[in-house]
Amino acid sequence: MASVELRGLTKRYGSLAVVDNVSMRIEHGTLVCLLGPSGCGKTTTLRLIAGFVEPSEGEIRVGDRVVSTPERSLPPERRNMSMIFQSYALWPHMTVTENIVYGLKLRKLDAATIKQKLGAILATARLEALAGRYPGELSGGQQQRVALARALIVEPETLLLDEPLSNLDANLREEMRFEVRRLHDEYRYTTVYVTHDQSEAMTTADVIAVMNHGKIEQAGSPEDIYDRPRSEFVARFIGMSNVLRGKTLDSTHVSLAGAPLKVTGEPLKTGGDTAVSIRQHQIQILSSKPADQANVVPATVVRQVFLGSSRDYMVEAADGTQLRVVTPASDNVAPGSSIWLHLPADRCRALAG
Amino acid sequence: MTIAVPAQIAERRSLKIDFTWPVLITFALLLCVLVILPVTWLVIYSLSSVDEVTKAREFTLAHFANLFTDPEFVNPLITTLVVAVSSSTACCVIAAPMGWLVARTDLPYTRAIRALVTASFVTPPFLGAIAWEILAAPNSGLLNQLYRFVTGAEQGEYLFNIYSLPGLIFVIACYTFPYIFVLIANALDRIPGDLEDASAILGGKTWTTAWKVTIPLALPALLAGVLIAFLQAMILFGSPAILALPAGFHTMTTKIWSLFQYPPKPELAAAASLPLLVVTVLLLRGQAMILGRKGYSIVGGKGADPRLIKLGWFVVPAMGFVAIVLMMPVFLPYFALFNAAFSPIATTLLTPLNFTLHNLHFTFFELSSTQVALKNTFILGSLAATLGTVLALVISYITAREAVTGHRFLGFLATAPIAIPGIVLGVGLFLSYTRPPFVLYGTLWILLIAYITIELPAAYQQLQSAFRAVHSELEDASRILGATRLRTLRDVTAPLLRTSVIATWCFIFVSVIRELSAAIMLFTSETKVVSVLIFDLKESGDLGAIAVLGLSMLLLTFTVVILMNRIPGFGGTRLRNT
Repeated sequence: MASVELRGLTKRYGSLAVVDNVSMRIEHGTLVCLLGPSGCGKTTTLRLIAGFVEPSEGEIRVGDRVVSTPERSLPPERRNMSMIFQSYALWPHMTVTENIVYGLKLRKLDAATIKQKLGAILATARLEALAGRYPGELSGGQQQRVALARALIVEPETLLLDEPLSNLDANLREEMRFEVRRLHDEYRYTTVYVTHDQSEAMTTADVIAVMNHGKIEQAGSPEDIYDRPRSEFVARFIGMSNVLRGKTLDSTHVSLAGAPLKVTGEPLKTGGDTAVSIRQHQIQILSSKPADQANVVPATVVRQVFLGSSRDYMVEAADGTQLRVVTPASDNVAPGSSIWLHLPADRCRALAG
Repeated sequence: MTIAVPAQIAERRSLKIDFTWPVLITFALLLCVLVILPVTWLVIYSLSSVDEVTKAREFTLAHFANLFTDPEFVNPLITTLVVAVSSSTACCVIAAPMGWLVARTDLPYTRAIRALVTASFVTPPFLGAIAWEILAAPNSGLLNQLYRFVTGAEQGEYLFNIYSLPGLIFVIACYTFPYIFVLIANALDRIPGDLEDASAILGGKTWTTAWKVTIPLALPALLAGVLIAFLQAMILFGSPAILALPAGFHTMTTKIWSLFQYPPKPELAAAASLPLLVVTVLLLRGQAMILGRKGYSIVGGKGADPRLIKLGWFVVPAMGFVAIVLMMPVFLPYFALFNAAFSPIATTLLTPLNFTLHNLHFTFFELSSTQVALKNTFILGSLAATLGTVLALVISYITAREAVTGHRFLGFLATAPIAIPGIVLGVGLFLSYTRPPFVLYGTLWILLIAYITIELPAAYQQLQSAFRAVHSELEDASRILGATRLRTLRDVTAPLLRTSVIATWCFIFVSVIRELSAAIMLFTSETKVVSVLIFDLKESGDLGAIAVLGLSMLLLTFTVVILMNRIPGFGGTRLRNT
């Protein structure tokens, strides 16, 4: 059993805290995605876990071993982890086979075992035909699979992935997402996956931890993060959201776009302003005034763009608030038309802070 | 997500010893000894004298007072200044237009021209000086003989006298102009063509653009080149020893050398060395500042290929200019050396009738010191190349991967010898290793130390940039799979650096062969090397043997340089002149 636990983990460079008091427990066999924009501290967190960087404060535990403290840090080679790097880091002077078995050779396994394990992993990663090639002779996707095979063959307790798909073209990236998830399900390692691509995180992760400015803003299942964002940053970063600010009216209503809207989410504090997010495709456009006026706002279409499978609207409420709305392509309303927007109460998420 | 779990079992330290740290510390100490020890002794000697009675060292400023008042020292100081200023100016006047012609115009044969400049770059300046002796000594010089033959002038009349201040300046300029040429040509190569296109589209004519855009952009490189040329002229030992001593004057380097002739005055030599050291440090700092000004000399971004200026009819004078310039350091001296090697008397013109292999036979089979010198040179060359490469490899690993706190200081130490002129290092090493606990004077070890120290900066810089080219994730990947630092170095880093390592090895080997100024301070009759042998033979006037040795040296050098250029990914040889 190897859960990975970060406790108050902090890394400072000078006075700048790149990773700021991060605490998190990753259960054995789960796949956690650290998701965030570049510079949010996700890669540093990963390198802290790997042992390439020593923490300024806090500690890291793997299972019941303490592997990193500011005083003492176990070197990466003794952590029984594997890592897949953004650049793949395949050694150009070794063949595919030599790259893959390197870790086993270090573990001094006998030749027969190495051969058997190599055969198995080559089959899993569909690399049999390429075993004798050099990395320079492989395509991006093939290199990616070699990197995966090299990391997995040593059967690590923990697998770390640093933006492993960012160098692939769009089609391949989509395919490899499922590949990563399939391999994870097959081997059930504790996996930490760093990415800035939300759809990558959605497809692969059990748990997504959204990071910003060195802190974890919110951690939870993909559904949690998407449907119930707790902060403006998470709401904006995951999916496309309108974030509106308005006066808090009572424990369930906020004044937005000139109308009192019923919202859900974080508990409201009356007497101040509340930020509320609503996804662009969760707003309905109605061309006639509906009978039920709850959570309906009158507005005008400013512009619309036909995107093939959908339409992208910019609309303006009576008080000048602008909202973006994505509708099915069949909802065609000309710019300048008066419309009514329905913002479902369970989709209007009040945000913290 | 934060769940506190009481788990208090601490990780036990494994008994396996990681050799990384001891190895790193050893190399750091080694570097300190190599660099700091000689400089320290230099400073101590220059500031002290031995009391006649008590035999104790006492602090004194007398040596420096002496240095700046006694005409015996002030004159060489002034001479050195004059030589350095005028030769670097001359270099600048010649090399800058030539660099521009080669890099920015449609001048033909630019590859050949660049190759010939490289040839003058790798020619040891002392060999060039000897060749120019054969060409332009007042009486016997081939050019003066030609002059008398053509004009029918009297015996005793001459056109050139190489044994003179202008003669010395000329010969030094011949072998320092490549420094400026290379810097200028490289800078002009790197200026993206669209900067010139931008000027052209706004209405700038070809020559206006060249004058207003291209040349100002290359100016920092020119300035840096002039500083280096000045520096080289200042610290050169071979050429002044060959040309100034017969003319009866000294430069600082020859003066320092003469202070070690009997009776030796090491304190004065140390005091005379320090100004050279200080000026060198200042010049190198100046150069770094000029070249380091971002956004000016270093032009970033993707650029279009430069458009070459069409010379038209001007190609004829341009080509003539280049040919004349290349005559001076390459064609004429090489001709003189060939002539001396294969004719019975060095200063007699070689004809099919008087062609002889006598010099060859004499040099390699009759001259007793040749064998010893060749053997010594070969041993020292390969040892210095091997040890120097290993040292540079480890240090550049430490600094490129920031493996140790204080890696910056290590990097500084490794590049510091670049600021120690060969002759100054020679003095420092002499002072350091003629006393217990290290009595190395008279052995090959002291020469080995000198060579490694001198070649370390260039080797370090080459390997460090090679390290930078190896993505650090390649090493991380090996470590996370279970390899220690050293194992990673062996399995991953070393094989990836193989070509750079070979290139560095060759580079040190070639540089050691041609080194004179440190060796001249440190050799004894048992530890003579080829460059010192050439210098000695010059005293006995045996030009034939010198030419044979010199040409063999050049042959070996060119072979190695050509081999190095064949290795992919290795460009630009920076050899240090002696």
